Amino acid sequence: MKKTIKDIKTILNENLNRIEGFIHSHPKVNFLFGALFEATDGLIRSTKDTAKNPPFIRSSMDVKQYMGAILAALFFGWVLPAIYFYGFMCVVPRLIVSFVVGVFVVDLIWVILAREERINEGGFVTCLFIPAFLPPQAPLWLIGVGAGISILFRNILGGVGHNLVNPALFGRLMLTICFPTMVVSGWQVPSTGIPTIESLMYGVDAVTHATPLITFKETGETASFLSLMFGVNTGSLGETCRIALIITGIWLCVKRIANWRIPVAYLGSVFILSAIFSLMLGETMAPPIFQLLSGGLIFAAFFMATDPITTTYSQAGKWIFGIGCGLITVVIRDFTQMPEGIMYAILLMNLLSVPIQTILLKVKYR
Amino acid sequence: MVENKKNKKVYKKGFNLIETYPVKFSETIVFVKHNGQVDSFNFAFPDKKVEHIIVNLCPTEPWALPNLAILRNRTHDFLNKLETVRAEYFPDSHCHVVVSHQETTLVNELNQYKASANSPPTFANGEYLHLHTMEPVYPYDAPVLIVKNILGLDIAFGQNTTEQGILLLDPQNVIGIFEYYIKKNEFNTRLIPISGTGLKDNKILKVKPGTPVKRMLELYVRTDIKYRVFLDGLLNGTEVKDLTQKIDWSTKNIVVIEERDYKTLFPYTRVNELLFTTSLMGELRRCVYCNFCDDICPVNLEPALYWHCYIRGEKQKARTYALEKCIECGLCSFICPSKLELLHVIKECKLASFGR
Repeated sequence: MKKTIKDIKTILNENLNRIEGFIHSHPKVNFLFGALFEATDGLIRSTKDTAKNPPFIRSSMDVKQYMGAILAALFFGWVLPAIYFYGFMCVVPRLIVSFVVGVFVVDLIWVILAREERINEGGFVTCLFIPAFLPPQAPLWLIGVGAGISILFRNILGGVGHNLVNPALFGRLMLTICFPTMVVSGWQVPSTGIPTIESLMYGVDAVTHATPLITFKETGETASFLSLMFGVNTGSLGETCRIALIITGIWLCVKRIANWRIPVAYLGSVFILSAIFSLMLGETMAPPIFQLLSGGLIFAAFFMATDPITTTYSQAGKWIFGIGCGLITVVIRDFTQMPEGIMYAILLMNLLSVPIQTILLKVKYR
Repeated sequence: MVENKKNKKVYKKGFNLIETYPVKFSETIVFVKHNGQVDSFNFAFPDKKVEHIIVNLCPTEPWALPNLAILRNRTHDFLNKLETVRAEYFPDSHCHVVVSHQETTLVNELNQYKASANSPPTFANGEYLHLHTMEPVYPYDAPVLIVKNILGLDIAFGQNTTEQGILLLDPQNVIGIFEYYIKKNEFNTRLIPISGTGLKDNKILKVKPGTPVKRMLELYVRTDIKYRVFLDGLLNGTEVKDLTQKIDWSTKNIVVIEERDYKTLFPYTRVNELLFTTSLMGELRRCVYCNFCDDICPVNLEPALYWHCYIRGEKQKARTYALEKCIECGLCSFICPSKLELLHVIKECKLASFGR
């Protein structure tokens, strides 16, 4: 068994080397497909670059592993629970559409047109985000449009390391502007209890129900915290099973891929501010634990807000960033007509992180 | 649990290289014959009065000379030599011996010696000798950090410590001064450890300074792979381009590692194979604000800021972010997941800002 794998590996390696040699010896082929080859080759094989300046050994962590860990966390955090709650046929087509449009259409065209050397693996993360914050019954083309806008936007800005705002959230903002009713309807009721093959395949019948936050806005009823925690309430595809999201999010923080300061500051400030508001203004404000466990707050705090490049570089700035996100979220949820304000909070604080960074540097290095 | 605790400390303010890249030397010391010209031992005694002598017996790099080769289970002998050197050349100075806190037997031996030592008239019983324990975390043995941790004094990077009355003594030089200047014996060999993936075996060699690097390595290098040779460690050492270069009395160690200039299939599954080679282990990207570099920086700097200055073409502006504090340990480049050449950038910025 081991020997066959080794044989396959050598054959694959030799063939890739042969293709590389062919492409480099034909300038016209290289002009058209050189970048594409480099991009796909970069996903399979390591680079041949060696250290030219000291230090001459490097740590094994690279951006690919960094993004790979986020992908793994997202997979266990929302894809698996969503398959349990909404069925295989609900989740997987959405993922396929998102990836096909995002990576294999927009990204490939971009690689050929803009002659980028590689497919940015950050694009995969964006594509996994798109279905997660849309309702389970959102049409497939909506997800395709969202993925296309997001990936195009991140490529226009320059990919990994250039993002001004979280591209996935920007795509969601565009969808909210263009199709305002579609992104806030179709909240399917999840199937619960012992799963059958049919429920795992297709989910239960398409009954829709308003999300707990909308219900609270309209009637003032709060759902039970346990049901919110385990995700038996309605909500977007990826945000309902909070317990899985918390576990994978903490794993990311332990791996030092997500900075622990942001979730702590974000969730902490939401808790404290909503406690203050509900103490001062009484029943009309959502209580703190309900605020923490409803909507996409947990998902956003662990996965969206910690998107590394869109926050500040300095560590103190991350606290300010998290607290700012919490403040805007609570203010939008409590004092405006909108039930949910996470998207606006993170996008606004993404933009504000640039001045926060500048001011903090001026203070630190006077 | 203990294992976990260790790993947590690994990334904060320094890096535990010894755990990450364990290097085992064979116990026998091999003598390398050389008939050519040999440099004679020479130690530049400082002009200023020396108040503190620091002897570092705690190597923080795995490829550095292990203590066992210097002490050879005769710690008392070594300490006697140290005391003789101190009394002869640096009277009235305090002597600080730094050892790793994991080596309990060595610490016990030092304490025993301290209790039984005959004190010179100016000091109380054994008080001239101070024992310090340290975690073997790179780069805690860099001059700036070791002086700060032990004496609490601030010295600038690149400054000559003897101006402040501090002498950093290499353990091998202690023996050298004792044998050559006090006993008037002939002293012309130095222990040089050679290690790395480019070698068949990690050895400790006894060499006469003046021997070419090629002569030392020719019996031990692997012939089936490409390799590169580095002096004084991989993180802030120098590459030996010309193998006929001769080693001198300041050479600490030689590392030979494999040159991985070809592509490897599925690198994520074969990380261990790629470690300890010159491979970059990834592609060059832009800075992603992961904060790995300022977590690992032993002097609390934010190296990515220099890279931002550099990429904008404002090299001089880097000095506003406390650039002069950098001790050039190279850990920021080592850990960077985007594989940025941060140490190179810092050196360029220093050149543009301070002219050196």
